[in-house]
Amino acid sequence: MGLKIVVLVKQVPDHEAIIQVKSATELDIEDRYVCSFYDEIAMEAALSIKKEHPDTELTALSAGGRRAVDALRRAVAMGIDLVERVGDEPLDSAESLQVAEALATRLKEHRPDLVLCGKLAGHDDQAAVGPMVAEFLGIPHMSAVVSLKVDPAGRKARAGRQVEEGVWTIESDLPLLVSTEKGLAEPHIPVVTRVMKAMQAKIENFPAQIESKESVRRIGYLPPPSRPEVLLMTKEFPDNVAELVGRLQETGALS
Amino acid sequence: MTNEIWVLCKIKDGQPTRTSKQMLNAAGALAAEKDLAPVKIVLGGEPYEATRHLAALGQLIDSRGKPWAILAGAGANDLELMPRLAARLRTGYAGSVVGLRWEGDRLAAKRPVYGGRAYEEIAFVQTPALVTVRPGAFSQPGELDPPETMGMETVAIDVSQSPGPVVLEQEATASTAEDLSEAPRVVAGGRGMGTAGNFKLIEELADALGAAVGASRAVVDAGWRPHDEQVGKSGKTICPELYIACGISGAIHHVLGMNTAKVVVAINTDPEAPIFKNADYGLVGDALKVVPALTQALKQSLNKE
Repeated sequence: MGLKIVVLVKQVPDHEAIIQVKSATELDIEDRYVCSFYDEIAMEAALSIKKEHPDTELTALSAGGRRAVDALRRAVAMGIDLVERVGDEPLDSAESLQVAEALATRLKEHRPDLVLCGKLAGHDDQAAVGPMVAEFLGIPHMSAVVSLKVDPAGRKARAGRQVEEGVWTIESDLPLLVSTEKGLAEPHIPVVTRVMKAMQAKIENFPAQIESKESVRRIGYLPPPSRPEVLLMTKEFPDNVAELVGRLQETGALS
Repeated sequence: MTNEIWVLCKIKDGQPTRTSKQMLNAAGALAAEKDLAPVKIVLGGEPYEATRHLAALGQLIDSRGKPWAILAGAGANDLELMPRLAARLRTGYAGSVVGLRWEGDRLAAKRPVYGGRAYEEIAFVQTPALVTVRPGAFSQPGELDPPETMGMETVAIDVSQSPGPVVLEQEATASTAEDLSEAPRVVAGGRGMGTAGNFKLIEELADALGAAVGASRAVVDAGWRPHDEQVGKSGKTICPELYIACGISGAIHHVLGMNTAKVVVAINTDPEAPIFKNADYGLVGDALKVVPALTQALKQSLNKE
């Protein structure tokens, strides 16, 4: 019996999309959504595991509405075997705990050996859904993984985790959830024919089952901190260096 | 339910880290407003592993009662631990928090969303409120040591016995001698440094300041510097007291990683570079000439003090 891997994917605004605070209750988000960078790394890592162990089944799972469909089309284009969507539009703005529960409930049906997901998604930036899913499934997890080796026969995985001090090598039994850090894999750009094919893919939708109650409530949105206009050094080199040091001394930044 | 606010402290060289001290001070101030007690929690047990540390924290909650809030630094390990604990307790979680206050009887947290292009403030409806704090974000003038009188609990964790993942090896990366996200000062270099070898100039300036070295995405992608030095989206988000950007143009993905720094200095040949819109002090000039001169000038001025 081969490996079963499920990759959790999500559509997020492109990193260059313009996002502004419209009011305390609303953001203005430019309609430029892409599959989350870290999720694409997770898919590529799954594809390379399958290359090494061909008897592997890859499924991509996404929670939410039409954007989840887009993320899953990207998964098909990248070469993921099966795709599934859980829940609908309300999950797009649900809190991490509820999204994680909806995903975990669906994952329990799959009983995967390995769950892969991005370290964080570029929308709420919580980095929470992965660890929360692992908790709901009752399996170990490792975050910010930069290297991964799976041993299906021994039912083990060995991963390199990026921590502040360096890289830790950790071994775990399967099943396991791994969240990906930049460096684990280099996502390939799907060929056009696959992208076209992905547009036709049928994507099954499953209802979300959520018991978690509201745990946080948004008070409002705020603009990012802004800085006063820059103070440019006016003297010629090298006097402008001394001028800069003088300015820094005034601020107390050097003491 | 206890009347406590817990702070999960990270200890380095026998001292709480900069972020831990900041969290202790913040917890002390929040606790004082509501007649709560701040408690310093040290999870002892090396190496860290999420499953066992989580179990230990769960036991502590069972024995002491649920606190009002648990604060932890948003380091790699706390980011594994805290969301998972939230799922276990089915309670609220807020990550990368830059500010905390009371909204009535509820704790409110301010945090960046969309990579820092906007911020949100949320109130915790369930307790305990679980919070990871962006490293360095709770900085205060003087960085006072938290009072010795603060409650203290050291939790010993046996990492060798129970089943679960095993840490086989801890490889330290040479470049992270000074942890970038904890460092009060950071000197970062970009494409304007010209070559990988020229980062020696960045290292020398960092040395003179007792700062950590950072890098832009361009130079990390070019292989000049390791990824753990990358500042910005898909790298680290940092809040040092002083940030010096050398030869960095200031693309949005970089700015989002450093725009919460206290004082920002930009050195760049191009006066139109966007980095100057995100800096307090700007010097238009060639970083290759300015950086070594700045190193010399700072050495002299710091020696005088």
